[in-house]
Amino acid sequence: MRNLPLRLARLGRALRAEGVATTLRDELDAAEALALVDPEDCEEVRSALRIALKIARAEVETYDRLFDAFWRDEPEVVPVARRRPPAPPSLPRGRALHWDPDTRRLEADAGSAPAGHHPGYSPEAVLRRKAFDEEWSARDLVRMERLLGRLARRLATRRSRRLVPSRGRGRADVRGSYRRALRTSGELLSLARRARAVDEPRVVFLLDTSGSMDTYSRFLLTFALSLRRAAPRAEVFAFNTELVHVTRSLAPDKVRLTLDRLAASVADWSGGTRIGACLGDYYDEHLAREPAAKTVVVVLSDGLDRGDPSLLADAVRRIQGRARTLVWLNPLLGDPRYEPAASGMRAALPFVDHFASAHDLESLERLVPHLAG
Amino acid sequence: MKAEIQELLAALEAEGYVAEPATATAVFLSREMRKPLLVEGDAGVGKTELAKVLARLLGTELIRLQCYEGLDVQTALYEWDYPRQLLRLRLSEGRGEDPREIEARIFSREYLLERPLLRAITHPDRSPVLLVDEVDRADDGFEAFLLELLSDFQVTIPELGTIRAEHPPYVVLTSNRTRELGDALRRRCLYLYMEHPSLEKEVRIIRTRWPEAEERLAREVGRFLRGLRARPLVKSPGVAETLDWTQALVTLRQGSLEPDVVRQTLGCLLKDRHDLEALTPSDVASLVALAREESP
Repeated sequence: MRNLPLRLARLGRALRAEGVATTLRDELDAAEALALVDPEDCEEVRSALRIALKIARAEVETYDRLFDAFWRDEPEVVPVARRRPPAPPSLPRGRALHWDPDTRRLEADAGSAPAGHHPGYSPEAVLRRKAFDEEWSARDLVRMERLLGRLARRLATRRSRRLVPSRGRGRADVRGSYRRALRTSGELLSLARRARAVDEPRVVFLLDTSGSMDTYSRFLLTFALSLRRAAPRAEVFAFNTELVHVTRSLAPDKVRLTLDRLAASVADWSGGTRIGACLGDYYDEHLAREPAAKTVVVVLSDGLDRGDPSLLADAVRRIQGRARTLVWLNPLLGDPRYEPAASGMRAALPFVDHFASAHDLESLERLVPHLAG
Repeated sequence: MKAEIQELLAALEAEGYVAEPATATAVFLSREMRKPLLVEGDAGVGKTELAKVLARLLGTELIRLQCYEGLDVQTALYEWDYPRQLLRLRLSEGRGEDPREIEARIFSREYLLERPLLRAITHPDRSPVLLVDEVDRADDGFEAFLLELLSDFQVTIPELGTIRAEHPPYVVLTSNRTRELGDALRRRCLYLYMEHPSLEKEVRIIRTRWPEAEERLAREVGRFLRGLRARPLVKSPGVAETLDWTQALVTLRQGSLEPDVVRQTLGCLLKDRHDLEALTPSDVASLVALAREESP
């Protein structure tokens, strides 16, 4: 094979142009592998380079196409549009749909979703089911904030399976006790203990502030704020046409003030949405730089996107791959007549771990176990 | 095809492991380039088995580290044998030995419990195969630690100093993709994605493992599985399930697929309630008919 280094470099560049992250190191591995296999056997070279370049399964199609060009030694591969995600599943129309977390599929409801039925009266129970777009009194609001605060605290105390040394609680640590006894020349004076570590979840809220979400923004922001009080590592981003990191402009206890401040700092507040582009930005600028599998990402949006649906699906797929859990809260889902017909929403669904409604407090409460994941 | 890869393919098959050429290429490259091999794929495609066969093939020991959430250094790398150290301490004190000498003695290799990772780099005479199974289940802190170990094959124990591998192990890491692994770890390895085997491969695997199964049965099982995997399933059956099922059919002395028997033994293949419920008797019948179509 002639001109190998050049051809390999070209292949690497073509892969990067299509969003497959290969590095120089991978190319060096590829060169080494190539020297070890039969250079005349197309299939063998194909798999050797795939192995050495660490091509993930989702990228195999792109790779195969570019490899063919590499094999034929075409001078330059014209980068085509970014790889397309699988087509969204076709959904039965005309019936209400719900998200089945077990099958990770949208299921058609036999009837419509059960209407809010009140088994017994208690102010809190009513409050929990009061939809966010109804009228709320000042007293209701205070009570709601308290309830949200409680949820947030529960969330922030997830226990890891890792055992760490602890004082006075947890199970006895025999090895630790012996180790401690070595210091006192072998006398077992006290018992060492180990307990499950508290794993503070990193929760990130991506809050859609477009016009269609206006009525819900206040509540979802309150939730994010109370969560931040209990888990200081929670972060909040707002987006509509661009992504803005708003954690620092949050004023705890002052939702009104925060909303005003946000409206001032976020361009085009309550305007249209480019969800796909904004989520893509979030992945590239933030999530990709964090240690894997630590972050729970919560997207609060109705999925009414003005951009390209394939862009959204692609961003959501990448986020899911890297996050501990990806939760999508859609306030419209509380409406039994709703079906996620918005093309963006449908494109994103296959990659969402939990698709839930967020139209009242009860729905937020059900969310807590998923966030603690 | 390169002669060495062809030989490896044949050798793997002789050990009862029917592999795709890509798998043999990956093993060959990992051996020649001395790089860890990261194998991903659905459960039951033969990831763990690959490491076992490799160890048999190289005539060396297989050291296995099963990962889980909360796996710590004491379980993975090394730990001091505290009870024995204490005992030694008590005995030596009674004899009035020099404390410094006692200390040097109880913190020697003799009192070190070697866990899989340390054992893999201290093998006395030849490179073992280190299998780090389901690395995606360990926390990412452990992943970072593993990365360090895999780059230098050396470990520093505060009381003893640095231990460097004289015979660096062949490393195979497997992942079920319960979470995406960090980029750094993947870049450090060679990467192989294992697919379900092709029909021909699967029939060969069945025949290799269960020679009692007749050719006709093996082909029907293979075709049935292909039809089954094409359906939307929560948990797609892997090769391990295929072999379990074949064993069941052989035990029941079946020479060919019968819808009734298939229905009764479906539990070998489908291990999710939703999948079992979704497959109606008529579905089974049509899958069986499809599988038997080409049989004489």
